[in-house]
Amino acid sequence: MDNNVTKFGSMFAAIMGIAALGFGIMEFVGEEWGPLTAEGGTFTAWRAIILLCAGVIYLSSVTNFIDVRQIVKAVAASIMIWIVAAMDIWAMIAASIPSGAEEAGEPWFASGADFLAAYGPPYMPAMYLLVPSLVIIYFITRRRIAS
Amino acid sequence: MWEVKVERALTADERWDLVDKITKEVVKVGAYKPGLRDALASLTVNPWTGIPFAIAVLYGFWTFFGEFAGLFTDGFFVRIFGTHWIPWLSGALEGLPDWLFTILVGDRAVFAEDFVGDPCFAAGGVLTTGLFMPFAVVLWAVIALFLVLAILEDTGYLPRLAVLVDTVLHKIGLHGFAIVPTLVSLGCNVPGVTATRLLETRKQRFMMIALLGVFVPCGAQIGMMEELIPGLIGWVFLTLAIGYLGFGWVLNKIWPGESPEILMDVPPYRAPQWSNILRKTWSRTRHFLMVAVPFVLLGCAIVMVLYATGAMDTIASGLEGFLAAVFGVPADATASLVVGFLRKDLAIGLLPIDAMTNYQVFISVILLTIYFPCLATFAMLLRELNWKEILATLGFLIVTIFVFGGILHLIGLAGGWY
Amino acid sequence: MSKVLLMGQSNVGKSVLFNRLAGARATVSNYPGTTVDFDKGRMRIEGQDVEIVDIPGSFSLEPKDRAEEVAVKMLEETKGATVVCVIDSSKVERGLYLALEIIEKRHSVIIALNMADVAKDANINVDAERLEEILGVPVVPMVATRGEGLKELVSRIREAVPVEIEGIIKNVGGKSGTSSHS
Repeated sequence: MDNNVTKFGSMFAAIMGIAALGFGIMEFVGEEWGPLTAEGGTFTAWRAIILLCAGVIYLSSVTNFIDVRQIVKAVAASIMIWIVAAMDIWAMIAASIPSGAEEAGEPWFASGADFLAAYGPPYMPAMYLLVPSLVIIYFITRRRIAS
Repeated sequence: MWEVKVERALTADERWDLVDKITKEVVKVGAYKPGLRDALASLTVNPWTGIPFAIAVLYGFWTFFGEFAGLFTDGFFVRIFGTHWIPWLSGALEGLPDWLFTILVGDRAVFAEDFVGDPCFAAGGVLTTGLFMPFAVVLWAVIALFLVLAILEDTGYLPRLAVLVDTVLHKIGLHGFAIVPTLVSLGCNVPGVTATRLLETRKQRFMMIALLGVFVPCGAQIGMMEELIPGLIGWVFLTLAIGYLGFGWVLNKIWPGESPEILMDVPPYRAPQWSNILRKTWSRTRHFLMVAVPFVLLGCAIVMVLYATGAMDTIASGLEGFLAAVFGVPADATASLVVGFLRKDLAIGLLPIDAMTNYQVFISVILLTIYFPCLATFAMLLRELNWKEILATLGFLIVTIFVFGGILHLIGLAGGWY
Repeated sequence: MSKVLLMGQSNVGKSVLFNRLAGARATVSNYPGTTVDFDKGRMRIEGQDVEIVDIPGSFSLEPKDRAEEVAVKMLEETKGATVVCVIDSSKVERGLYLALEIIEKRHSVIIALNMADVAKDANINVDAERLEEILGVPVVPMVATRGEGLKELVSRIREAVPVEIEGIIKNVGGKSGTSSHS
């Protein structure tokens, strides 16, 4: 990888690290701010711990981003964020399908409108981190082409 | 030239010469670029990075499991059984004699107009709760667990997790792979007991099953705890973990037998093959249906016979005063502790939480968790262990309850928390 | 098979490998009449219990200190044992020297080409298959710290056999095309 890519990688890791730390603190606070919510029951403390750890791991990969042992830290931190975000999305999917009704004769599945409404905001912190964290795929493929 | 020499022992120079020739052929410098997979393999077994990563993976494991089981059980099957099957069946079989109705359908009181509660759990008959437990609750938990387990296995993560926790588990005579039954049991103890087959010797399996049955709460219990005592969950888990490791250590010392090392295949990380994962999940689920379900049905039948003959009431009243004295829980709570003897998933919900202090709630929840394996788990225990081991498990259970419960009681008294 | 001996120089991951193989049942013993300690344990090979001994790290079989002396003695005392020769993949030369010495003494040898990850990081590739061809004994690449290759090592321990050093000489000589005898 050339110098520019390495610089870009260090920047990416630094920004992601700070962002993950910030969102991790939000998970600890566990409140709702407009389109962002960290209200999610008892697991919220674990999500906070994971995001904070991911933040620290990202930051530890900032220097010498050309070394595979450094890049891999950013990869691992990204995977940690993907897991949390994927579970947030999976919770949305699981909640969107059944109607929740209990009496005989009522529909079993959620109506189309209810189904779609389940995917509206607010979203969990990790879901906001998901999109920028995908940039790591660029570095992985760059490495593969280079080698 | 050394080639013509025939004696066996070479001189040092000749040996170095031979070493040079061999290395020239087999060692190539600059041929490898260190790979990402390799780096990831190191990162995930190094405690500093491996433990946070493991926390993320385990968070995913349980969240996926919880949502999946919730989708099927709460989303559909509670309604199928609670609104359709059980009311229909109780109507259709109403004419049966009392004893047969009790065994097949359950306690008639559950079907009275003024009954408050969920008939799915409360009825207790072979065709009601007996079918509800395996097909509406445990089955979906099992599918979700096996699915995630297969993914973790096929990507190559599971053996690395085992390597990561190996050091700690060795101290109690278990192997890193003991993490698998433990993980599975946190979802559902029933497949957890099956998963102990990974362990090599009878001693390891027995220890694992005893520890699982006593110290590992299942997903249903954890769900109940989350709902009723969210503030105390952390303490409950910490206490259980201490019990798991502590009693494991003791058990390892006193139970005869060996705990040899199990050698794991630690393959490189790779993308999983979905067809293989689905096949694995299916074959394990099928196996579970064939071996566990008949035992659950049998267990329900036995319990209902005990109810129908009144034996259960005798047991309950005999235990009540005793429990209050030993553990310092109020008399009101003992009813729930007795129910917990057979259905611990329900029991936490029956605790009179408002009437108790935090410490009493805490100690009651711990006791309910370590009390007795749930019916389905107990059925699996009968299947997997021999008589000597079953008696030992029960003995272990009783000792644990008194020692552990007694210690907590004393700590509470000393701290003045009652 | 009576015993398995782990031999190799220091810092080749020998003790990690020993702990992974012997697990919780390892005990530290003292070699009689010396201050040299060594680890002893039991492992399972195809369902059979076998004693495994971690021989003190030694550079060669020409002892230069007390520990190496003990190592040589222990090797001589257990003639029927299978020797697992642990070699650092990034420093093959040094390990091979000791391995050849042990082979010359007609022990059954299996080579554990350990620390494959370190070698890879240093851009070093060791062709384990070719090495196996040349030596005529099993060669298993592994990373003991990560648990990789352990299973293969154990499943191949039984393949370890004594070989003739002349055969090895022939195998490399033959390749370079200058075999002077015939």
